[in-house]
Amino acid sequence: MNYRVVFICWCSLFFLISCAGKKNIVVLLPDPEGQVGKVEVSNKGGTQLLTEPRHATEIKSMDRSPTPPFLMKQEEILKIFGEALSAQPELPLRFLLYFQRGTTELTAESQRQISEILAAIEARKSKDISVVGHTDRVGSRETNYRLGLERVESVKELLVSKGVDPSGIEVASHGEDNPLVETEDEVAEPRNRRIEITVR
Amino acid sequence: MKWTIGILCFVFFLFPVLSNASDDPVGSIKTAKGTASIIRQNQVIPVQIGEKVFIGDSLKTGPDGSLGMIFKDDTLLSIGPQSEIIVVEFLFSPAEGKLSIVTRLFKGTAAYLTGIIGKLAPESVRFETPVANIGIRGTKFVVQIEDPGTR
Repeated sequence: MNYRVVFICWCSLFFLISCAGKKNIVVLLPDPEGQVGKVEVSNKGGTQLLTEPRHATEIKSMDRSPTPPFLMKQEEILKIFGEALSAQPELPLRFLLYFQRGTTELTAESQRQISEILAAIEARKSKDISVVGHTDRVGSRETNYRLGLERVESVKELLVSKGVDPSGIEVASHGEDNPLVETEDEVAEPRNRRIEITVR
Repeated sequence: MKWTIGILCFVFFLFPVLSNASDDPVGSIKTAKGTASIIRQNQVIPVQIGEKVFIGDSLKTGPDGSLGMIFKDDTLLSIGPQSEIIVVEFLFSPAEGKLSIVTRLFKGTAAYLTGIIGKLAPESVRFETPVANIGIRGTKFVVQIEDPGTR
């Protein structure tokens, strides 16, 4: 008899726990720059568009339309999503380095930026660094592809000589095909003589 | 003759696999806490920071777990405790115009911030759940899906 009471108590406790706050919800949030986009939640029952920050919709089942948007309190968002939100990785960091014309020599200003890049790699313990080389349109496409690669290799060597693990660095050359500033062929454009470093 | 057919069959079966770029990682794990694992072809791999993630991988957390990953296009995806999500599809070759990212949350909580695919081709970003699909026109949202087992 006693066992049965205990069993019923447990069952109702489980039922309460599983009901409390466990709903299917989608909430739109501002991005790290404070911008708010849009999400469209749809199923067999219909479609609901969220366009305002912290607006949410609840979905009861695949066949029932998502509810009209309602505002969710910040503390409630943190209560439900706090752990998922704090597990979000940091945004990748991007650096641009520039070169002297036709060479693998960094400009003086870009040389000074190297310590900043090393500090970012160290702070994140990053093993996920990509280095992509670009050139201007002086010279042939093939020559520029090779120059882009030489630039990337020289910077990789520099980073490795300062203690960065080479296995965490991915390199590529886009030659003259991916300019920041569009130019005619054979035009010298210092802003295109660059490499892009992404630290993730 | 039988041999030729055998070899032809072999080549035809093999070719789609070879031509598929699914051998490349789609991203890597950046944060991990508590019980968190990757399930790859029925194998459970405990998650470590830096671990590569591939198409078809499921990410799963226990009651004390959470984890976060970054895709090659800079999409940021993280999940809270008691959660499970699978990477269904990922294509990222902007030069060829091949862009697509599809994930499916089975249960638990997730936070999502769109990356370059979301900027270049927002219609190619899809987040699926058992009760609804989410289309994303930028940029950040969170989702909770109740565990069907506790219903």
